[in-house]
Amino acid sequence: MDPEVHSLTGAYVCHALEPAEREAFERHLAQCPVCVQEVAELQETAALLASAAAETPPARLKAAVDARIAVTRQIPPIIAGAGAGDTAAARPRRRWFTALGWGLAAGLAVVVAVLGVRLNDQQNQIDQANQRSTAITTLLSAPDVHANSVSVTTGGNGRVLVSRSRDEAAITVSGLTKLPPGRAYQLWMMGPSGARSGGLVPVGSEAYDSVLAHGLGDAQTIGLTVEPSGGSAQPTTTPVMVLPMPA
Amino acid sequence: MLGRAGSRTNPEEQATLEERLHQVALGDRQAFDAVYEQLAGPVLGVARRVLRDPAQAEEVAQEVLIEIWRTASRFDPERGSARAWALTMAHARAVDRVRSVDASARREARAAELMVESPFDQVVEAVEARLDRERVRRCLEGLTELQRQSVTLAYYGGYTYSQVAHLLSSPLGTVKTRLRDGLARLRDCLGVGG
Repeated sequence: MDPEVHSLTGAYVCHALEPAEREAFERHLAQCPVCVQEVAELQETAALLASAAAETPPARLKAAVDARIAVTRQIPPIIAGAGAGDTAAARPRRRWFTALGWGLAAGLAVVVAVLGVRLNDQQNQIDQANQRSTAITTLLSAPDVHANSVSVTTGGNGRVLVSRSRDEAAITVSGLTKLPPGRAYQLWMMGPSGARSGGLVPVGSEAYDSVLAHGLGDAQTIGLTVEPSGGSAQPTTTPVMVLPMPA
Repeated sequence: MLGRAGSRTNPEEQATLEERLHQVALGDRQAFDAVYEQLAGPVLGVARRVLRDPAQAEEVAQEVLIEIWRTASRFDPERGSARAWALTMAHARAVDRVRSVDASARREARAAELMVESPFDQVVEAVEARLDRERVRRCLEGLTELQRQSVTLAYYGGYTYSQVAHLLSSPLGTVKTRLRDGLARLRDCLGVGG
């Protein structure tokens, strides 16, 4: 590793690197937590330089943006463990998925949309979903939607709404017991072909807001395990929740 | 990354930009209006600063604001503030535009102009922006001349650090270092938490 690369944080944040240098620096970032921290701080600083340049936008800009977002589909987040940058993280994950033989069509790659709906009971669930999430609303309107819930053995609850015809499930866990540092809850979609990560419950959060999973495949249950904070490729502990998904 | 909203008790009260962005990820158009309100000014401003040309700046601002809508779910609060996420994207887009379109002749012509011009010559109505501008100006004044010029040319000018080195007739390594320690000094002066 070129020791010089470490000193490129300022130029990187200013987007002042040539493409090849930028790529080299990003490779370095992936293995340099100190640099990640420094880049984050300098990006916050650069954001203030941008704020200082703020201009009053013309009304036509809002009109143009509104017109475009009305016809622009939002992309879902990437699931799986705590990753790095979007593209950097997405590529190895996609390979990893393929390696597991998910066999999912491109574009239907396993993705989860965070819906951020805190759900307390079935009715409240439906009300809030209707207000805040067209995705859940659509799921709830599926003719074959089923719900299920179980307790988490170490405290808390898990709930799932599933529609096999839509090949979608909305998963919520809440009231989880706080974990010691370095540990995190990880969701799993489990079936005859094995367990696939459903993503980490963010550290320090006690409620895991509703998550929409597409491409259920042969998954029959939702599992929740305690893993190292970076997440695991496969469950390494006994699940604290096994939530069957209605067929 | 997976978002979270568990700590929020009343989403209608005093929602932070991060919370708004989380709502945007759910397809909430009203939340997007609030995000737009806070970010359109700086997004447009930074694009204009880098590109100069108002029409191109507006195009870039439009692209970035749509990108904020489109990719809101990819915002990860563990990695920084929503403002930094959006403005990093805006600056990157503006710089991309400069590098892809730009004839070097036009860049060279701009260089002299940029050297003499204060970066704070735009009329900004928002109080918040005015305060930011004051703070940033004060802190930029606290940098060494070479730090200030390096940061200003690279960030507001959209130049690569090799171009900055050329413009300032300074060695590459020096400019690289000045960009880093200049920004670090700004960070400390502006009280950006770590």
